[in-house]
Amino acid sequence: MSEFLMPIRAVFEAVANSENSIALRESQYVWSLFEVAHVVCMCLFAGLIIMMDLRLLGIGNMQTPFSQLQKRLFPWQMLGMTLSSITGLILVYGDPMRFYSNIFFWMKMSLMVIAAVNAWAFHYIEYFNVDSWDNKVPPYGAKLAGALGLGLWAFVIVSGRLIPYNWFQNY
Amino acid sequence: MLQPYFQAMNDSSVAKFISESLWVYPLDQAIHLVFLALFAGSILILDIRLLGFGMREQSVAKVARDSTPWVIIGFLGLVATGVPQLIQNAMREYFSEFFWIKMYVLPVALIYTFTIRRKVAQAEEGRVSPVVQKVVAVVSMLLWFGGVTIPSRLIGLFT
Repeated sequence: MSEFLMPIRAVFEAVANSENSIALRESQYVWSLFEVAHVVCMCLFAGLIIMMDLRLLGIGNMQTPFSQLQKRLFPWQMLGMTLSSITGLILVYGDPMRFYSNIFFWMKMSLMVIAAVNAWAFHYIEYFNVDSWDNKVPPYGAKLAGALGLGLWAFVIVSGRLIPYNWFQNY
Repeated sequence: MLQPYFQAMNDSSVAKFISESLWVYPLDQAIHLVFLALFAGSILILDIRLLGFGMREQSVAKVARDSTPWVIIGFLGLVATGVPQLIQNAMREYFSEFFWIKMYVLPVALIYTFTIRRKVAQAEEGRVSPVVQKVVAVVSMLLWFGGVTIPSRLIGLFT
């Protein structure tokens, strides 16, 4: 396993030794600025994802047809995702070895991949027949996608918040 | 004036219980953030609509009515997970300027949301001009994110 990770480690180490990365992690305010920005961008992204998942579960925003909600919130979700990714990548860039050796960071990354697969699967498996349930409580497949989305993104947030608690640090 | 009360929280058995556990405090912080996402989403879905974007085919009043329960649930979750953090860090909070900014803006934002913003959002279509709707949305976001969320994150970063 550790051999498999060596190339990744090499990249992280190279970044850690770069001048800008060092400047970022030693900065007094810039690092904190991105930590704050990351939380605010997360609010836009995760907040609107949750609003959509509640609609999929049939327990929230029920007066709006699902296709309309999906279409209209999508650009804002993408904006939130883009800004969260940029601020997140800058944070990793500024202190790569701290993240490399952190179990919660890798948990967060894995959960994000699974959440993306869930969204993708929903789009291709259940969304095509949206016309038949657009104004109603969604069918079980859509509910399942909503529940999975809600749970996965909640765990992404939780594991992200646990990154500072390096209980399993192991360089 | 309030220092004795903060000192009492600091010395309480609840604070002792939280600090003796490895997991309670971090998990409380993490769940606080999940409720923040729920709360922020339910605020933003209406503010974006008031700005004239987002779910434009739907009436503002309906977006408002649908989102209100989640604003309340999100807020209650934030309070339930926020109070233990306050108890655990009572003296740090007491001496943090950001904590007091949050505590002063929070009631203003809350009252604003359930009076002015609510009235404007539930008004009959066409009775409130789009300019007023936009101003109401911008003030809402400035109060909640500028006045509450950002100072909250700064408490822990600059103590």
